[in-house]
Amino acid sequence: MTAPTIEFDGVSFTYPDETRALDGVTRRIEPGQTVAIVGQNGSGKSTLVKHLNGLLRPSEGRVLLDGADIAEVHVAKLAGRVGLAFQDPDRQLFAGRVSAEMAFGPRNLGMRGAELAGHVRAALEAVGLAAEAESHPYDLGYSRRKLLAIASVLAMGTPILILDEPTTGQDSRGVAAVRAVVAGAAAEGRTVIAVSHDMRFAAECFSRILVMRDGRVVLDGPPEVVFGEASWPELRATYLEPPLPAVVGARLGLGDTPTEASLVAALAPARVAPRAVTDARTPRNG
Amino acid sequence: MIGATYRYSRTGRPVLRDVDLTIEPGRVLGVAGANDAGKTTLCLVASGMAPAVVGGRLEGSVSIDGVDAAGLAPYELAQRCGLLLQNASTQLTHTTATVFEEVAFGPCNLGLAAGEVVERVWWALRAVGIEGLAPRDPAKLSGGQGQLVALAAVLALRPKYLILDEPTTELDPAGTALVADALVRTARETGAGILLVEHKTEVLARIADQMVLLDGGSVVLAGPTADVLSDPRLPDLGVEPPVRVRLERDLRAASIELSPALREALA
Amino acid sequence: MPGAETSALELPDYVRRLPSGLYRSLSPLTKLTIAAAEAVVAFGVRGWTGPLVVLACVLASAAVASVLRRIVPFALAALPLVASILLVNTFLYPNAHDEIGRFGPLAPTWTGATAALQATLRVVSFGLSAAVFALTTPTNDLLVDLERRGLGRRGSYVVGSALEAVPRTVGRAREVAEAQRARGLDTQGSIRRRIGGILPVVGPVVFGALSEVEQRTMALEARGFTAPGPRTQLRALPDSRLQKLSRWTLLGLSLAAAAISVTGAVTVP
Repeated sequence: MTAPTIEFDGVSFTYPDETRALDGVTRRIEPGQTVAIVGQNGSGKSTLVKHLNGLLRPSEGRVLLDGADIAEVHVAKLAGRVGLAFQDPDRQLFAGRVSAEMAFGPRNLGMRGAELAGHVRAALEAVGLAAEAESHPYDLGYSRRKLLAIASVLAMGTPILILDEPTTGQDSRGVAAVRAVVAGAAAEGRTVIAVSHDMRFAAECFSRILVMRDGRVVLDGPPEVVFGEASWPELRATYLEPPLPAVVGARLGLGDTPTEASLVAALAPARVAPRAVTDARTPRNG
Repeated sequence: MIGATYRYSRTGRPVLRDVDLTIEPGRVLGVAGANDAGKTTLCLVASGMAPAVVGGRLEGSVSIDGVDAAGLAPYELAQRCGLLLQNASTQLTHTTATVFEEVAFGPCNLGLAAGEVVERVWWALRAVGIEGLAPRDPAKLSGGQGQLVALAAVLALRPKYLILDEPTTELDPAGTALVADALVRTARETGAGILLVEHKTEVLARIADQMVLLDGGSVVLAGPTADVLSDPRLPDLGVEPPVRVRLERDLRAASIELSPALREALA
Repeated sequence: MPGAETSALELPDYVRRLPSGLYRSLSPLTKLTIAAAEAVVAFGVRGWTGPLVVLACVLASAAVASVLRRIVPFALAALPLVASILLVNTFLYPNAHDEIGRFGPLAPTWTGATAALQATLRVVSFGLSAAVFALTTPTNDLLVDLERRGLGRRGSYVVGSALEAVPRTVGRAREVAEAQRARGLDTQGSIRRRIGGILPVVGPVVFGALSEVEQRTMALEARGFTAPGPRTQLRALPDSRLQKLSRWTLLGLSLAAAAISVTGAVTVP
């Protein structure tokens, strides 16, 4: 599947109550990229992604998919190209059975019969809920309801997949399922965008990270760069902490090690005493 | 709390089995576990809300400073054991114009003299560290601030114990740090015993003295926080160990020696 | 901390919040009585006098309370209703024969037009009266006042949270609609499609409201809501014998006026 190219061109957005949530954002996301958007609440993360499926329209600027401005395209039509799973699963669950809930999205897109069933089944398997097809959604715990919500959007087969805080409130099994979904979707060639507070999830599962503050993108790059020492002042100005592996790696002079795996790899060949960096930087995350 | 087994009356299946635990004044007891391990139910039972308000059947007993919770009315329970839930917005009354009045809601309900109410409000705001928020509109606060106000509001009833069910789950990193710091400060300033349920094991590592791990309604691990969090069974029980523990484990697995410099860097 | 020493046992000003201005500083109950009296007169007194008097009072009180500009949106919001009243009555008033003109099958009548204008005036003056009341009386003040007079804490909480529940439910419905539209729910298509779209929006809103009830109940209990005895009132709301007297007088006069007009004992234009 080839996902469309996404372009934000000078996008600004002001809410009716005068809060300016986005301030001239210009970015391009290539087909098939995996992007994590991080930042404090109020930085504009959710506002930005809601522009991709038309729930919000820019106050200034344009949003383009494959070079075409989507300003006039219906949300219902964009739903076929951009799937957005919200943070709170209870916002959307209404059917009495998991299978019925799953079928809602694909049916709205015109899928029927075998094609519909196939998509639903594949999505349920991708999140590990295949055995629950006939259960009542509210009999599943919160973690699995969240996975169900993600699966219901996954089943729509959209080339662009957006997940809003997919790991918040999840236990470790739930997080593992979310990671599998991201990896699986990326393998299919979909563009995957996640809004998240989870620095580890961002560093380990995404090839590009956008850090937002006050409606603007303040850092943009692969995890090594965004969590690398050079970016720390900017990160801390956003009240975000780099992941511990990055801090340890910097202290020991090992270069950029945003993930645990990269830190271990950096330490492995250098079993000689690493050069200890003697400045008073202390990691502040718990 | 001793030997508590609790069932929801509807399903008949026990949600908590034979749970024994003690909350000590001035200390923080952390609780972790997979999502359906019964953590929220534990909070409801420990605070007396279950069965008093939510129904269900409790075998075993819950006692607060020697008094059996079963014999207390909800408003009496609230003065001994404060309960804070996940969603800050649900806990605010939405009928008050300022944070001051929101925090005063509890003491006013108890019919205390106006002077005493004012004193308690300032005391609670100070304990949590949010005196500056007193004139603000509760509806316009951030998630983290809202949780702090909810914390102060519960504190204003001067409970000896505080029970918090995942207070930072819906908060961003800044809000999480705010609440975690406020809890430490509260325990120190008021001497309250705190039970804290959390997914974020980093938070527990930082502020909990002792910890308990729940699985399927039973306590499967208990002890000092450092011990519980470095137990190798954690991932199987649905709990993600804190990053330090994972790193040390990965390094050991790759046969990398933990040199002094490395240890210092990890600390 | 500035002022902490002096305010240790004093209520801060922003809590005491004594309203200023002649109209605003009336007790909430007085303002409620005024609004009720205005409603009685607007609908009870036949002819032009009733609604015109009410309109004059409403505009006067709005001017005193400085909310004249803010009641304009309420007047505008009533326009669709006004338009339909005008049309229906002018063109379709039964048994009226004093035609203004003939436009094909349609025959507007002067009687109809008169009735229409009067009805419009009643609706608008009532609406503006309610608007002035809402704009000058913080909900909490009203509830505190009612509670002091015996409404009881549960009663006041029920009223307060019912009022607050409306914007909250609307907000939640909007969130739910967003989530479902992101799954392709067509909110703009044929009637059949739109009816089919009701459950996916209403369902989660209802579920959410129900599950919230339990949480809120617990939160209230955790704040000692069900403690016995009277609640402490932090804010003193001013009232006076004069106001009390005025309230009864106003209510009495307005009911009398309506009764007189309805029974036809005295007719006014």
